[in-house]
Amino acid sequence: MKKVIEIKDLFKTYVDADIIVKAVNGVSLSFEEGEFAAIVGPSGSGKTTLLNMIGGLDKYTEGSIIIDGIDISQLSSKQMIDFRLNNIGFVFQAYNLIPVLTAKENAEFIMQLQHKSKKERQERIMELFEAVGISEKANVRPGKLSGGQQQRVAVARALASKPKFILADEPTANLDSKSTADLLDIMRKLNEEENITFIFSTHDQRVIDRAKRVITLEDGKIISDEVK
Amino acid sequence: MNLRIAWRNIWRNKKRTFITISSIILAVVLAVFTRSFNEGTYVKMIENSVGQLTGYVNIHNIDYWEDKMLDNGMEVTQDLIDNAKSVEGVNDVTLKIESFALAAYEKSTKGTLLIGINPKKEDEYVKLKSKLTEGEYITESDRSILIGSRLANYLKISVGDTLVLMGQGHYGQSAVGAYPIKGIIKMPSPVIDRQIIYMPLALAQEYLSFPSGVTSMVIRIEDGDLADDVCNELNSKIDTTINKAMTWKEMTPELIQMIEGDRAGGFLMIGILYMIIAFGVFGTVLMMTEERKKEFAVMISIGMQKSQLAIISIIEMIYINAIGIGVGIALTIPIVMYFHYNPIKMTGEMAKSMEQFGIEAELPTLMEFSIFKEQIIIILFITAFAAIYPVFAIMKLKLIKALRK
Repeated sequence: MKKVIEIKDLFKTYVDADIIVKAVNGVSLSFEEGEFAAIVGPSGSGKTTLLNMIGGLDKYTEGSIIIDGIDISQLSSKQMIDFRLNNIGFVFQAYNLIPVLTAKENAEFIMQLQHKSKKERQERIMELFEAVGISEKANVRPGKLSGGQQQRVAVARALASKPKFILADEPTANLDSKSTADLLDIMRKLNEEENITFIFSTHDQRVIDRAKRVITLEDGKIISDEVK
Repeated sequence: MNLRIAWRNIWRNKKRTFITISSIILAVVLAVFTRSFNEGTYVKMIENSVGQLTGYVNIHNIDYWEDKMLDNGMEVTQDLIDNAKSVEGVNDVTLKIESFALAAYEKSTKGTLLIGINPKKEDEYVKLKSKLTEGEYITESDRSILIGSRLANYLKISVGDTLVLMGQGHYGQSAVGAYPIKGIIKMPSPVIDRQIIYMPLALAQEYLSFPSGVTSMVIRIEDGDLADDVCNELNSKIDTTINKAMTWKEMTPELIQMIEGDRAGGFLMIGILYMIIAFGVFGTVLMMTEERKKEFAVMISIGMQKSQLAIISIIEMIYINAIGIGVGIALTIPIVMYFHYNPIKMTGEMAKSMEQFGIEAELPTLMEFSIFKEQIIIILFITAFAAIYPVFAIMKLKLIKALRK
């Protein structure tokens, strides 16, 4: 399988009240295309920091992250934004949809940033909304959707740009059991049928149970990396 | 998409946007009213003083303006008139002779301003005939006079009565004459109305023993704004060792100073008003930015360039300010237009005090695009000022910190 992400000797240190904190402490790992992986660990273990660094949202102190052959530390801030637009899909814990846009517009928005034609946008969004089971809510604004529905829209938005992988930071933290199960079904189906790579940071057992690979972090270090 | 997002963003908090837009509307309305009333009054003052008395451009003997005596008058030649008429923007030339005279009727006497005019041309250019309140208008060949209504009241004289004038003529000769009153006129400026006497030019020249002399050549121009250009052109064409062209601004510097002083005070008030509004708009922008920092971070995370996000913020500012100025101007246009044609008539002490300053006691508005343009420019500055903060905040946004909010 093709390697999508390659992380080598990654460190993230910062000073908090005169104490040097190693949020990520020498992490080396790689992700291949089509993985459905969960990065788990207790609060403060460094999983969200690691995810943010993979997504180019946070800078690392040492080491390297190579995505599809590109060392992301070499990209300027502007290039990094474009890189994220075309290569990485994000799903956030709090959904973070744009409240003034409808569900459909939220997903379409990212394709507009890519300058896709209207026809292409419409087709892709219809297809994605069908896949995440939210077609009937396409013209509703996020404020009128349930948490589970908003997160499905967020998944559709993350997939709209046809990214190389999806980074999902605690995607089920605000969802009830039913919504969590439905969302995981959708993501797993997309992973299996369309070979989309998902990387989660989570401490939700339901996500861990469904993951094909579980990477456990503690104090910024990988303490286990299991492939089921 | 940018336009749609910006439009919807401004209506997220309808009350706040409504209050912000209302404050801009209020500022525009107040500023337009203040400016149009002020400028309308200035125009009226200039018309009263300049249009009626001096004209926008005059040619005098070089010594006349410093020492306004008849001996500093000028002999007018056809060459000089033709030269003046050949200047672009000049419509016509009228001749005037001015002097002071003591007017007496029965037991009353009063110092007056005597002006010899071409009655036909004076009516053509300053509508003197329309100011007639009693009697008839004078003609060139008449041996009678027109006097101001306040002067007539003071002297208790009416149409048909004879007024005795005494003064000094050319080269110190005595000027004495008795002239029947043909008509009474009401001049807009109370100061002028209290002392004015109009007489046909030839009769005045005869009374003042200055048969071919005048004190000024009034240059009638197409547009008051051309005064400076016309004046310069005239001075380049005439022998400036003998005569000199002057604009109304040079002839009435005290009027200009008064207007400039008043205008500066008006600008200061409007400046303070707009400053308050600018801070109000800035407050709204500050809230709109602070409460959306996480959203900005999300948009940047998913691939929106910071510059594009900054553009959305600027468009939001433009929308708010454009609505404010659009509605403000739409509201003021009919009202300014109404007061332009129906000036507010001042009464009581206010009217008296205005008249003491030689200002007609009414407040007209000035209908001029420049007044509206000024407000648009000021609002554009406020927009630019208010947009600085969100643009700066977006450009300096710390993604992780904002996402954690």
